[in-house]
Amino acid sequence: MEPSRGLSAPPGRALGAPIAGLALLAAGVVALPQLTRDSYYLDVATTILMNLALTMSLRLQVSTGQLNMAHISFMGIGAYASALLVTRVGISFWAALPIAAVVAALLAFPIGGLALRVTGPYYFLITFAFSEVVRLFFNNFFVDLFGGPLTFTTKLELYTLMAALLLVTAAVLVRLEHSRFGLVASAIRQGDLLAETLGVNVFRYKLTAYVVGSLVAGVAGAFFAHSHQVLHSSDFGLEPMVLLVVFTVIGGTGSVWGPVAGTVLMTIAGELLRELHHYESLVFGVVLILTMLWAPDGLVALPGKLARRRRVGVSLAP
Amino acid sequence: MPLELRSVGRRFGGLQAVADLSMTVAPSTIHGLIGPNGAGKSTVFNLITGVIPLTSGAVFFKGERISGLRPAEICRLGIARTFQATTLFREYTVLQNVLVAAHLLSAPGLGSALLWSSRYRERERRARERGLALLQTLHLAGLADQVAGTLPHRDQKALALAMVLATGAELVILDEPMAGLAAQEKAETTSVLQRLREQGLTVLLVEHDMKAVMGVCDTVTVLDHGLRIAEGTPREIQANPAVIEAYLGVEEPGA
Repeated sequence: MEPSRGLSAPPGRALGAPIAGLALLAAGVVALPQLTRDSYYLDVATTILMNLALTMSLRLQVSTGQLNMAHISFMGIGAYASALLVTRVGISFWAALPIAAVVAALLAFPIGGLALRVTGPYYFLITFAFSEVVRLFFNNFFVDLFGGPLTFTTKLELYTLMAALLLVTAAVLVRLEHSRFGLVASAIRQGDLLAETLGVNVFRYKLTAYVVGSLVAGVAGAFFAHSHQVLHSSDFGLEPMVLLVVFTVIGGTGSVWGPVAGTVLMTIAGELLRELHHYESLVFGVVLILTMLWAPDGLVALPGKLARRRRVGVSLAP
Repeated sequence: MPLELRSVGRRFGGLQAVADLSMTVAPSTIHGLIGPNGAGKSTVFNLITGVIPLTSGAVFFKGERISGLRPAEICRLGIARTFQATTLFREYTVLQNVLVAAHLLSAPGLGSALLWSSRYRERERRARERGLALLQTLHLAGLADQVAGTLPHRDQKALALAMVLATGAELVILDEPMAGLAAQEKAETTSVLQRLREQGLTVLLVEHDMKAVMGVCDTVTVLDHGLRIAEGTPREIQANPAVIEAYLGVEEPGA
């Protein structure tokens, strides 16, 4: 994936911007349950938060120039690991959650290490093939696995748990983005050969992004297992993966906030369009195409772009 | 000898791009590599920096064999290069470009970046200061916050050089540093190269501008069809009949 970013929009690496963004995200997350306790809204909001963890971690991987189609599989690994630990081993959810995340991260080493030896379309295909293998494995060995007894009984408790997990995740990912790691990672996307000849161990950066992203996906998976109760392999197949990609690309991969904008807006749009049934995905497809045509850098890059266009317009006026 | 090529060869299918090339680059000198188009100059650079593997021979840097290493490892040992088509991180500002290049000298670990420790912040501050100081010496300080992709050609060239220097390299390899520059800018580049040599750096460059090459280089190696046909001081090279023949062609007897 080669997201092109506006040339005169340097990524804001001043410290003020990330802290303001995190504060805004935290404020929104805390404010929502004060505004409504309606279980439908809480349900949608919880799904958005879980998807945010997935899209923000996917963006971390995309920032090095690689679109990992197996991201959803690591969510699945986290989900099945956590469900098995709780139901078969009998440990508590709190113990299962970190173990499941670490299992996802550990498996990311060999899988990422193998896939990242190729780039471009080959990488896309290898990760897609891998995700199908994992999905079939789930399908054949654990049909409709039960996620374990409900530790959390109300929608509000589930929301609060996911909110806490997401805020920690977002803080880590935003911190990473604005560190030297983030600087070098995006440099790799802009020119991996140049980075390599400047002494950057490109493979190691990509693998680090892959493993950290998979760790986050594993956390989201563990949460999913215990909030949804019943796991089915199609929860971790191509369809939800494509949705993650759509959210991320529409929001914009150039900024850590792109997936946040894309996920929130598109999930709400999806809920509003629910009456359309299978036309819903058609609308999503059209929105994706329009975004790629008119806002290839995603929604978050739009305000800056429009402002620039206005400035240019003024300066060109006779 | 900082850099030594021993019988280096590179074959692309049926084409012998570089054949049995041996040469040494002496420390703290400016060494030119010239030759007609297609002589294999850029291939030699790619072989030295590990961008493409060689098919025969070996390359040594400060006595250590570097052929077979990956480009990043070769850079770590002290060799950095520019590319013929100036390559930059186009979306980044001038200073960010230099900071990426300087990461070898001051790369903080993942953990310290996450903890945002005072030591991490101190390192970041020092890296920025060093970057800005480097930009100052190349007359780019005023452009530190400009996006690299929007710079005019000469500033892009200067930035590419700044990035190579930011890696802390001892041997700097430049692919056509003068290409597309105006006379005044060429003179500035020449004086920058001379200053680098005074500071103890070694420069190896490919350049088509003969006047610039002859003016700045201590030693010149001439390639033609992947073979070394001459080596010497600029004065010797200019008088060498084989070189004149390679560039101008030889008169057909009886034509």
